Amino acid sequence: MNPSLIDTPALSRRGLLKFSLGASAFLATVGLGVSLSGCSPSQPAAGLIALRDSDLPFLRSVIPVMLEGAVTPERIPAATDETLKSLDNGLAHLSPAMLKLTHQLFDVLTLGITRGPLTGVWGTWENASADDIRQFLARWENSSLDLLRQGHSSLLQLVMMAWYSRPESWARCGYPGPPKI
Amino acid sequence: MPVPDPFREGLARGWTTYNGAQLTEDLTLEADVAIVGSGAGGGTTAEILSAAGYRVLLIEEGPLKTSHDFKLLEDQAYSSLYQEGLGRMSKDGAIIILQGRAVGGTTLINWTSSFRTPDQTLDHWAAEHNVKGHGRADMAPWFAQMEQRLGVAPWLVPPNANNDVIRKGCEQLGYAWHVIPRNVRGCWNLGYCGMGCPTNAKQSMLVTTIPATLDKGGALLYLARAERLTIKNDAVVGIECQAMDERCVAPTGRRITVKARHYVLAGGGINSPGLLLRSEAPDPHERVGKRTFLHLVNMSVGQFDEVINPFYGAPQSIYSDHFQWQDGTTGKMAYKLEVPPLHPALATTLLGGFGAENAVHMAQLPHTHAMLALLRDGFHPDSPGGSVELRSDGTPVLDYPVSPYTWDGLRRAFHSMAEIQFAGGAKAVMPAHSDAHYVKTLAEARTLIDGLDLALYRTRLGSAHVMGGCAMGEDPKTAVADSLGRHHQLGNLSIHDGSLFPTSIGANPQLSVYGLTAQLATALAERLKTP
Repeated sequence: MNPSLIDTPALSRRGLLKFSLGASAFLATVGLGVSLSGCSPSQPAAGLIALRDSDLPFLRSVIPVMLEGAVTPERIPAATDETLKSLDNGLAHLSPAMLKLTHQLFDVLTLGITRGPLTGVWGTWENASADDIRQFLARWENSSLDLLRQGHSSLLQLVMMAWYSRPESWARCGYPGPPKI
Repeated sequence: MPVPDPFREGLARGWTTYNGAQLTEDLTLEADVAIVGSGAGGGTTAEILSAAGYRVLLIEEGPLKTSHDFKLLEDQAYSSLYQEGLGRMSKDGAIIILQGRAVGGTTLINWTSSFRTPDQTLDHWAAEHNVKGHGRADMAPWFAQMEQRLGVAPWLVPPNANNDVIRKGCEQLGYAWHVIPRNVRGCWNLGYCGMGCPTNAKQSMLVTTIPATLDKGGALLYLARAERLTIKNDAVVGIECQAMDERCVAPTGRRITVKARHYVLAGGGINSPGLLLRSEAPDPHERVGKRTFLHLVNMSVGQFDEVINPFYGAPQSIYSDHFQWQDGTTGKMAYKLEVPPLHPALATTLLGGFGAENAVHMAQLPHTHAMLALLRDGFHPDSPGGSVELRSDGTPVLDYPVSPYTWDGLRRAFHSMAEIQFAGGAKAVMPAHSDAHYVKTLAEARTLIDGLDLALYRTRLGSAHVMGGCAMGEDPKTAVADSLGRHHQLGNLSIHDGSLFPTSIGANPQLSVYGLTAQLATALAERLKTP
């Protein structure tokens, strides 16, 4: 069984890891991890405004699982791209403070030192199965850490809103779209 | 035939406006009165002061968008017209906060419900918060004046099916329900009030008080964030503003210095206290930002055999106050019941979950109804509200702890909503909570609701009504401003917005802001006659 950081008393003590949407001891560690690994990924990915290259493998793995049932299987790759585009545009309009928190969330999810212990996904996101991803989401939703429960809720909101703001999603939910003025 | 866009016509006639994003050099602007914020409080104040002959400058952080720009698309509306690009949340991320940020403020994107401040609330302020001159009889003429100005009247068109559930359910149960007064003229009954009114039927500040101000020679500066009040010897001597880019995300580096005789804060809850905190304004009793209220909202979803189409039709037209004053003004947490409109992006987060489960629920959207409870916070000692703080980058954020007293109100509200939904014909009901699912009888719903772990993140919480944080009252120990909205420590600074409320209102607050600020601005116009 893999050792879990969440289960160690020091980290699960409420308060120590209180994320509270701001800099915490934990995120300072993550930040340190980023700078130590020498790959501070702050540049947007090609063709995108707010998402970084390092965010994409994770999102490309998670989005198809979240859109299951909302899109026919053959449309999933295209829908994933469309969702990424909408998500990127939404993030590009967030306040810098909220964008920074979102980037920190993605950092926690994608950096080696935090991904395994916090998500239970020890390999790369590209290799994670749909079941691995569902387990990770359930683990965060039911975590005793505010940080992870908040991350779960933000992640779902960002992705699901990005998809359902797109006209491609509307036929399946019976929304005829806005009237013509 | 295209809908006329009176704001664009006004611009073509030569109104004085400045777009912060397009400034190529720093700017200094002067006025008799500078007003920070162009929503309900700022717009109302601007019209009254400019009609009295004063040169007014309105300063708005957000962009200028007019009917021509409103495409009725959720993503465009949320990213351009809402605070922080819809990213505004309580500090712990558990409560989503919907507030407008564009010329017209929240009046541009609210759902048009227009209630006078309840008598009980006004009585409570006088008795408990040392507020003078805002009694029932004092306020009635101001509400009447603003109702006339903004076309406020009960909605005469039949309610859409989403709202009609409240009527049917309450009729069945013998609960009181009423028609909601709305601030519209010639409304097309479309259902997109939250994305900017494309027909200019909604009498927001964009089409009423701001055009009136500009017609009188007033000026509008937009995409400009009021960064700091410059304070010397107990007076404000200027406002330093940062020009913002077209997305209203990043400062462009250009600065605008504003000089005026008198300054009015009208940025609403969170932003007005935020500006005072950033400016290190005198606050000897540490009242700034304290007692900020939200009308915390929880929701319940119902499925119907008939078509509801909750995305079309006037979004709010029926309400119930059956549970609002049952236990007096200061008893258990009480609530008002209304409905939200459900467009797909907001609906998916309300329904919650992801994958197959969410998809099945979303596929039923045309047969889905939702109800919401607005919790009346701030009337009981166990409901002290939240506190506005500054983040490391100087932007404000609200820390709003949810007390056990509040959770009790949320649980009772889940019960009330489920009861009315079943009585109104729902075949299944689901409280908006991560652990909930659709249940088919009221008995099942009661068991489900009693067993829910009402915790942050599991319970879907929101707010569209930020109130308080710069409370008014005669005692400087407990209030930031006096009952005339005058800052207790700074002589030429007034506050004219919902941040003045000593508690929440107990009803959608826009008409409360209009009436109060019309009264305060009229008194200010008199005072300014004496140099």
